[in-house]
Amino acid sequence: MNKNYLFLLMVMLLMAGSFPLMAQEEEEEEDWSMFDELELVDETNVKRFAKPTIVGLSPTRFFSLSYDHQLPYDMNLSAARFPASGNSGWGVNEDAPISETGRVNFTGGIRFNSNIPIISKSNLVWQSGLNYWRFGYNIGNIEEQSGASGLTGILNNKGLNNLNWTNTFFVPISEENFFIFQGLLDMSGNYGFSLQPFNTIRWSMAAVYAKRVSERKRWGLGFARTYRVGNLNYVPVVMYDVTSPDRKWGTEILFPARAHGRYNFNKNSLLLFGYELEGQTYRINEFSVGNNSYEIRRGELRPRLELQKQLSGPFWMHFQAGYRIDWTFNADELEGSREFFRGFFGTQDFGMVNNLSNTVYFNIGISFVTL
Amino acid sequence: MKKILVSISLLFVCSFAFAQEADDLVGVWEPGHGKARVKIDNIDGKFYGRIVWLKEPNDPETGKPKLDANNPDETMKNVPLRGYRILKDFEYKGKGVWEDGTIYDPETGNTYSSVITIKDENTLDIRGYVGVKTFGRSDTWRRLKVK
Repeated sequence: MNKNYLFLLMVMLLMAGSFPLMAQEEEEEEDWSMFDELELVDETNVKRFAKPTIVGLSPTRFFSLSYDHQLPYDMNLSAARFPASGNSGWGVNEDAPISETGRVNFTGGIRFNSNIPIISKSNLVWQSGLNYWRFGYNIGNIEEQSGASGLTGILNNKGLNNLNWTNTFFVPISEENFFIFQGLLDMSGNYGFSLQPFNTIRWSMAAVYAKRVSERKRWGLGFARTYRVGNLNYVPVVMYDVTSPDRKWGTEILFPARAHGRYNFNKNSLLLFGYELEGQTYRINEFSVGNNSYEIRRGELRPRLELQKQLSGPFWMHFQAGYRIDWTFNADELEGSREFFRGFFGTQDFGMVNNLSNTVYFNIGISFVTL
Repeated sequence: MKKILVSISLLFVCSFAFAQEADDLVGVWEPGHGKARVKIDNIDGKFYGRIVWLKEPNDPETGKPKLDANNPDETMKNVPLRGYRILKDFEYKGKGVWEDGTIYDPETGNTYSSVITIKDENTLDIRGYVGVKTFGRSDTWRRLKVK
């Protein structure tokens, strides 16, 4: 009897002990509906804006330091003419004879890029960055005929530099629509620490109207003033970024500047495959007479593969390999250092008509990125 | 003795006022995109915020409640987003600023360092950043009340 009594008491105690546990579980069952019936305390000035990015994109780089290296290729240069100094140049359809050749054993150097958020709010993002790219040359087997300009020797000794200041503005106007404005200033040439006249600074810009259709897709149309292929040009711009539902595949397209397909192996590594157009207009000091500016219009098409991988936290590395296709390495003499527009149909004479054989290149670098 | 009593009283009043200020963060807030609501609580002096409402609570593909599918931690991928704690470990530092916390972005699965600044009693400025505050992005959150 006592045993039965004790057993009953134990069961009662256990049950009594379990009531608080059950009550705890019930407390954890949230009544989410209570949060349906809420409203903003202050509904004035409430406007919602599109986010600047979509999911799955390769990380935005705040800082990047890389090394670019082109494998050997042949350089063929015409004689230098000075059309803006009163002489005739090379006609746009004229076959300029080769006056100078060399085997370029090395082209490349370091590239530093920065892209720092100055303002980063939901209604405005302003990013600003200073960039420096070095193009060193090592040219062997130089052969010069009469009339050769000696440009191979100049490139060999001094190389080319590009200093750039880029400002990008992301201006959302609604939950889906936004504008991107970008302005760039470039000082490019074979200058040293004393730089070169400020009237040789060239400007570029782009304006894109875009729509963020969903968290996985955005597209845009716009217009750019660009030196992407060496010469000044005005081109339409098409942006198309999309990520597949499983977030494995996607595109990162800002045509014509660059277009890439993307494969995300996982959150920490991805592969880009596509191309980029690269170029600028580089003043050659030795050929710049008076206030005129003699400029090499360097433009390259770079089909490529790029592997990006997270090293640790916000530090990522990239390895890029591809083919460097010469778009132009011709030269112009700019009267009073003022730019002119030849476009696709202009007939202004060239100062030099040059060509480079194509070659393989690679680029390796480290970046500090937004996650 | 009188001075000591006054000092202790002042200290007590100041501490109470500090704690009251800190709790200005407590409540239900709506992020700038308006697709979620986050309830912030004071738990043992630190502030935490969890998602309590989603504009689109169910995954349109499965019809089931949205999960934290982008979380880099495999064990968390099946946890429902509603109820998920996205703000963690904020401490009140005075002058309307809460620091030392983190904010989680369910859209990307990334966690950022974060600082919260109260602009007025119904508006927060919440900034997520990587490393230093410069490398981040701010959003405005607004306080909600019962209709």
